[in-house]
Amino acid sequence: MRIWQRGCIVAVAVLATGAARLPIEAAVHRELRDARLMPPPLEIGTGEKIGQTSRAVALGGLRTLVATFLNLRAFTFFTEQKWGKVDETFRSIVDLAPRTRYYWETGAWHQSYNAASYYINDSKLPNLRRREAWRASIQRGRNFLERGIRNNPDDWRLQAYLGFMLSDPNKIRAFPNVAEAYATAAEAYAKAAKTGQALPYVRRAQLYSLARVPGREAEALALCRQLYSEGRSNHTPTLLSLLLVLESNENPASDPAERAIGIFGTAEKAYENLSSHWQRSRDQLPIHGVARALEGLEKRLAVPAENSILNQPLPPPPDLDVWFGK
Amino acid sequence: MSTITPSKGSHISRILVIAYHAFTQLVRMKVLYFLGAFALILIASNFFNLPQHEGPEAVGVNVLRAIKSHCFGAMYIFSVVISIVATALLLPKDVEDRTLYTILAKPVPRFDYLAGKLLGVLMLISVSLLLMDLLMTGALQIRMSMVLEEQLMMAEAMGYTPEAMESLKVETLAQGPNWSLHGAVFAVFLRATIIASLALLISTFSTSTLFTTIISFLIFFIGHFQADARAVYLQGDAAGEGLVTRLVSLLLSLVIPDFQLFNVIDAVIEGEVLPGAILLKLALIGLFYAVFYTVASWFIFSEKEF
Repeated sequence: MRIWQRGCIVAVAVLATGAARLPIEAAVHRELRDARLMPPPLEIGTGEKIGQTSRAVALGGLRTLVATFLNLRAFTFFTEQKWGKVDETFRSIVDLAPRTRYYWETGAWHQSYNAASYYINDSKLPNLRRREAWRASIQRGRNFLERGIRNNPDDWRLQAYLGFMLSDPNKIRAFPNVAEAYATAAEAYAKAAKTGQALPYVRRAQLYSLARVPGREAEALALCRQLYSEGRSNHTPTLLSLLLVLESNENPASDPAERAIGIFGTAEKAYENLSSHWQRSRDQLPIHGVARALEGLEKRLAVPAENSILNQPLPPPPDLDVWFGK
Repeated sequence: MSTITPSKGSHISRILVIAYHAFTQLVRMKVLYFLGAFALILIASNFFNLPQHEGPEAVGVNVLRAIKSHCFGAMYIFSVVISIVATALLLPKDVEDRTLYTILAKPVPRFDYLAGKLLGVLMLISVSLLLMDLLMTGALQIRMSMVLEEQLMMAEAMGYTPEAMESLKVETLAQGPNWSLHGAVFAVFLRATIIASLALLISTFSTSTLFTTIISFLIFFIGHFQADARAVYLQGDAAGEGLVTRLVSLLLSLVIPDFQLFNVIDAVIEGEVLPGAILLKLALIGLFYAVFYTVASWFIFSEKEF
């Protein structure tokens, strides 16, 4: 048999075995996708941004390697305060490594915290544009994180980070509806807790956010009572203070000072913790009944009027007019 | 009366002798010097510690990811380049050295010769990957212990509860060496096996080493799009693709191996678990290609005149 004849036989064999393996390979491919072992196709824009060499490397199954190098590039952009470039690079990074939580968290952090803080102090921009750039950066960070959650719905830390960002007193004014932001934060914490892997603080954080949503006090009180009944590890000063506040909101006629002693154990402890709660005005936690409780406790503890916590100045709330000028 | 001298010894022992010879031949080409470069990459990847932005969870995780990414990158490049270049070199070098004539003049079946040569290349790749895997595992283990210590110290200073510390520990340990990482190294080896056997097939009818190398790299590159071509063929009708497009896609799907199947490295680096059943399926696919291409190589090589 001549060599070309043998070549033809091999070609036919290649086609025949190809036909046999095609459905098998398609099935294994599907199985790998279902097991999240096969990355989704790269977005066209990402391919263009990372360059031909990186694209070729990424195509060969080394996306995380390219992501590592892009992360270094993003860090350089961060040190140079090129926020647009940081954002663009992180978009490429997460397209290459969509299951790495670190990249989603870091990308969101750069926008919501670093870029936003930069615009507070950027003297080159007019006030109105600084304010808008600050707001837009925080919103970009939020959108980025929400995209990360859509890609990793089982990751409790991303949900918890969204909750943290949305309930941060220094960021809250960037959102058009403060109550909606707290409600979304509570929802994010609740989703994190629902994964069954979250640390116990997450449910307490859910309560702290929910308590700040007007109209959902009853829901917050139910959650607060449930957490309280679950054991002493949940008896943090904030939770105990909120228990008093939410109960006072439900039953304004009650004696908050008496209840505070019941919750905290002693009048001294109640006074100390409620004083701290009163002073945390920046956090915008509800304070129903706290003033009355403090008054009652001050009477019992014989605190002189000049030392009364109610007469001490409160820390100023985050004021956009102070940050950006009027 | 037959003029063919019956060969002595078993096929396996002959294949092993030729494989050992090919392995030694490649080692003498100082291929293993690459391990020095690998060690440098491994050391360098330990310096990729970027500032972290929040709790102890993020401390040092970048370094662990960098070690894995860079090591796998080096393994991947080494295995692909060696499997193509070494295989493409083997036959022409034996012709040039006239070793081939000496071997084929003896009662050595041509299949044994080809299988031995391929096995020699695969031995070199497997030994190298094994050494690289050992180095990576060692470095990762040491670095992970350091990272974990640092994280736990920070967590303790921040007042983490024992439950939170345990959760932190579990998360960090998952970033260290595990069976899925070794499975991913095996997937790298399987991909190298396919491309080496394919290069062997090409070298049986190719007239130059350069041609074999270029065509093998080209097929390797196209092989990463094979799954897309298959999707175009299988779903093209519903998507309204033309007949010509579907036929070209079908042809590509039938001829080119699907190298994307072995792209499990990224998922493993990102922390996914590689189940044994999937690895077994990949191994069977790799074995199928290796056997098929070796038999096809023999079929062409068996009547080739030198």
